[in-house]
Amino acid sequence: MPGADKEADLTERIEAFLADLKRGGCGTGPIRGSGETARETTALLRKVTAQARWSSAGDLMEIIRKEGRRMTAAQPSETTVGNMVLRVLKIIREEYARSRGSSEETDQQESLHKLLTSGGLSEENFRQHFVHLKANVIEAINELLTELEGTTDNIAMQALEHIHSNEVIMTVGRSRTVEAFLKDAARKRKFHVIVAECAPFCQGHEMATNLSKASIETTVIADAAIFAVMSRVNKVIIGTQTVLANGGLRAVNGTHTVALAARHHSTPLIVCAPMFKLSPQVLYGQFLRPHGLVFALTCTILSKVNVHCPVFDYVPPELITLFISNIGGNAPSYIYRLMSELYHPEDHDL
Amino acid sequence: MTEIVRNTSRKKDFLVEYFRTQMRTDPDMASAVAAIRTLLEFLRRDKGETILGLRESLKWATDCLTEVDSSVAVSSGGELFLRFISLTSLEHQDLSRCKKVMEERGELFLEKISLSRTKVAKLCHTFIKDGAKILTHSSSRVVLRVLEKAAAEKKRFTVYVTESQPDTAGKQMADALRRLNVPVTVVLDAAVGYVLEKVDLVIVGAEGVVESGGIINKIGTYQMAVCSKAHNKPFYVVAESFKFVRLYPLNQQDVPDRFKYKADTLRTVSDLSDEHPMIDYTPPSLITLLFTDLGVLTPSAVSDELIKLYL
Repeated sequence: MPGADKEADLTERIEAFLADLKRGGCGTGPIRGSGETARETTALLRKVTAQARWSSAGDLMEIIRKEGRRMTAAQPSETTVGNMVLRVLKIIREEYARSRGSSEETDQQESLHKLLTSGGLSEENFRQHFVHLKANVIEAINELLTELEGTTDNIAMQALEHIHSNEVIMTVGRSRTVEAFLKDAARKRKFHVIVAECAPFCQGHEMATNLSKASIETTVIADAAIFAVMSRVNKVIIGTQTVLANGGLRAVNGTHTVALAARHHSTPLIVCAPMFKLSPQVLYGQFLRPHGLVFALTCTILSKVNVHCPVFDYVPPELITLFISNIGGNAPSYIYRLMSELYHPEDHDL
Repeated sequence: MTEIVRNTSRKKDFLVEYFRTQMRTDPDMASAVAAIRTLLEFLRRDKGETILGLRESLKWATDCLTEVDSSVAVSSGGELFLRFISLTSLEHQDLSRCKKVMEERGELFLEKISLSRTKVAKLCHTFIKDGAKILTHSSSRVVLRVLEKAAAEKKRFTVYVTESQPDTAGKQMADALRRLNVPVTVVLDAAVGYVLEKVDLVIVGAEGVVESGGIINKIGTYQMAVCSKAHNKPFYVVAESFKFVRLYPLNQQDVPDRFKYKADTLRTVSDLSDEHPMIDYTPPSLITLLFTDLGVLTPSAVSDELIKLYL
């Protein structure tokens, strides 16, 4: 029976995705960037919308929330999965509101205004059935996918406004977004890049190799030399794993050091991050618990030594100058606004 | 003429009596909520014929209430109610229908804001970790609710409360916390800097949240905020959304005198320079996050909320 086949195929795809996430991949094989994860998640959610059985928007949202919870449980540190689920939920809400003909205003989030003027405590229950809702939602998800595909290019396009000739730019570790950003500026400007190697994985080495292949003058420095070199740096441009709701960052270990050194020398700190990395989490204490690796120390004191190797750092919003995303440049204090446009507050806890 | 004067003074007495009763019967109720309840009752009994007349009498009623309790919260509650009337009257032109709608919505509004403290507690308690040491200032019912919720979630934490002169309200807070079996220490107001190195986070309530995202709270809060900034400790504010007020003070002098001193002091004393102010203003640069029933807000988000309401 074709229906049952499709369902089995769908569950198989979801299981494969979850297994891949757990292994540290992104859904299409070996370890790759968060962009691929976001695209895979959205494609999977589109498949769920198309093939799962649902009659009203409320049912669809429940199904997506359930799948979302499973996906985020598989790999809690990969926040892009959760972010994409929230985006799709917001899309469903918007399409539902549009089908009902009600204006955008009525489905706004909590505000003092809404408290004063609303007529009743009853909430939207999304039970009404609309014929074209499925098609509309799938179309909107396709738009989201197109947006996701263009994020790196959109960010790179803004490079020429921010990088000037003969500047010294510092970056940390490896970020595909920053790499594209710098390569785009290198087409027209000549500048020098200093890359902090970011031990223990030393991803900075790969970054430096890629940049020098694009004929950018690159220097690799050890993490300990960051402060010493900072006085000669004009700008610091970094990528991040997640952007938090208060404008802070959850980025690779070593970023906080760079941020503090930059603040000390009054050097601007620019973060290149696409919008799908914006997460409604604010709690920054949670992930200081190291999701780390332990080194195989080949020495006899191993039993007496605890090795902590945290993978992520928290950077508070006061240290950041500018966020460059696919929708333009923003100050960290404006992030809360962007969040209210992308996600609905009722979905924040999946 | 004397009829009108007698009528007015009777109305005033009724208002004041109703307000005082509300505060007495439920000591847990915020003063702004009591004010709004009183104004709603006043609305029900008002016999005016026009909407403009209604607004005038409500403004007069709010002034009477601020003479009794000059806190920022009562003033913000009154302004919110007035705004509520304006918004509703725009939709319905007929006065009797308008009044009916106002009464219904008023009841609904009161129901919603009575839930706001629970919402705030739900948002804030996750920021209190096991083993945390918390510093708080004076006595705030919202902070108490947050700490109750955290204790109910089986979190272990200790609390330092400033005794908060001149009314030593901190001791009441300490008693309430002891009843919850939370280890609590009362410290002198002057000991804030001394204690801050031991503390993990600072949580305070607010009497009013101003447009810039700063807060107006019991005297001593500004000091605590400056010290926590110096020690790099997070400074959290918990406040319900009806405390948002349309003031924009740039420094301590800008806060109006009617909030700084008690209502009796303003009436009896001619030279205020000898009096001690009861509140101070904490600028938004010293505040890390605000927990409100509208969500977790950064100070820059507060003016957004106010604009959405008043414009």
